[in-house]
Amino acid sequence: MRGTLNDQSLIYLQIAQMLEDDILRGVYREEEQVPSTNELARGYNINPATAAKGINLLVADGVLYKKRGIGMFVASGAEETVRRKRKAAFYDGFVRPMVKEGASLALSEEELLAMVRQAVKEGEEK
Amino acid sequence: MNTAVLSARGVYKSYGKKEVLHNLDLTIEPGKIYGLIGRNGAGKTTLLGILTAQNTLDQGEVTYDDQPVWENQRALDNICFSRELQPTLFSGQNNLKVKHYLKSAAIYYPNWDQAYAGRLLAEFKLEPKKKICQLSKGQMSMVTILIALASRAPITILDEPAAGLDVVMRERFYQLLLEDYAQTNRTFIVSTHIIEEAASVFEQVIILDEGKIIENCPTEELIDQFRYVSGREDVVDEVCRGLEVLSTHQMGRHKTAAVRGGGVKLEAALSADVDVSPMNLQNVFVALCGHGDAQ
Repeated sequence: MRGTLNDQSLIYLQIAQMLEDDILRGVYREEEQVPSTNELARGYNINPATAAKGINLLVADGVLYKKRGIGMFVASGAEETVRRKRKAAFYDGFVRPMVKEGASLALSEEELLAMVRQAVKEGEEK
Repeated sequence: MNTAVLSARGVYKSYGKKEVLHNLDLTIEPGKIYGLIGRNGAGKTTLLGILTAQNTLDQGEVTYDDQPVWENQRALDNICFSRELQPTLFSGQNNLKVKHYLKSAAIYYPNWDQAYAGRLLAEFKLEPKKKICQLSKGQMSMVTILIALASRAPITILDEPAAGLDVVMRERFYQLLLEDYAQTNRTFIVSTHIIEEAASVFEQVIILDEGKIIENCPTEELIDQFRYVSGREDVVDEVCRGLEVLSTHQMGRHKTAAVRGGGVKLEAALSADVDVSPMNLQNVFVALCGHGDAQ
C-alpha cells in the first residue's frame, strides 16, 4: 500500500484506490486476504468507519468479498474488474480533460491525435 | 454494547449580557468519534461543560439515556470530561501533583483502568510527584489525555487535547485514541483547532459557530458537498448560479468561488471551462465560519 494519504480526495476513495493499485500490482492476489478495517485504521491513523467505507465500496464492485468470521478477500477475476473500472475512470479522468485542454489551446483533432501517437511512440522507444 | 444517547435540547446560556449558546440542539450517538470544531469564543468549552453537567444552563435540557444529566450519578459515572489543566488554581499556583489528579480520577470514574493509566504514565514520561504548575503545556495536555483514556468512560470528552503537544505527540495521541476506540468502541468528543490532521480520525464532525451548531454530519459527506470553482469571472458566475456561494476571491478577471451544492449541480461545472477542485475540512471550516475575516 502507498505510504500516505493526501487531502485531494475523500479518504475512503483513496483507501479503495490503494487496495485496487495493490491488486493490479500483485501485492494481493486473487483469493488472498487483504488488511482488515482495524489494520487499515491503525496503519493510516483514520477512523475505522472510513476504512470500512472504502472496503465496502470494493465489495459492492465485486473486487473484494467477505468470508464470515475470517476477513476480506480478493475476489476471483478482481484484477480484470479493477482494470475495466480503471479504463472507464481513465476516460473520464484523463482523456476528456485532455481533449478539453486541447480545445482551449485551439488544437485540431488531427494535431491532438498526432501528439498522442507521438507520446505512444516515445513510450515504446524507452 | 452501550446504547445510551447524550442529547441537548434547546440549550441557552449567557454570561451576563453575552449570549454564548443560542437554543442549541445536539445528539451524540454511541460508538462514534466526534470532532467539535469552532472558532475562538464560539462556545465549545461552555457546551462541553453543559453536556457533562459541569456548567449550569439557563434554558433547555441535557439528557443521557433519557434522564437529565444534572446531579444524575449514573450519567456522571459514564461521562468523562477531562478539562484542560491550569498552572494556577484559585488565586495561587496549582501545587497539586500529577498523582493527586490520577488518584481523584480513579475514585471518580468507576471504569478507571489503573494498568492502562500506568502504561500511559510511562509512555508519556510523566513524573507522578511533579506539581502541575511545574509541568510544560504539553505535559499538562498529556495528563488530561491520560485521565480521559484511562477513565474508560462510555462517553469521553477531550477539550483541545492536541493544543500543547508537539507534532510527534499529536500523531501518537490520535493513534492511541484509535487503538482505544478499536478495542472499546466508546464515544469520543474531541475539540480541536488543528483541524486537518484530525479530520481523518473523526467519523462525525460538529461545527459550532457563534453559539449555534451549524453542522453535525459524517465528515466525508460534509467535505464532499464543497468545491472551489475557478476561471474567468463570467463563466464562474454562470456555473455558480443556483449553487450556494460561500466566499469569492478575485484577481483581475480571474475568480475563485467556494461553493456548496449536490453532485448533480457540480456535474454541470465539470463540462464548463472552469477548474473544479475539492476542499479539505479546514477549507470547509473557513468557508463556513470565516465570515469574511480570512480575506
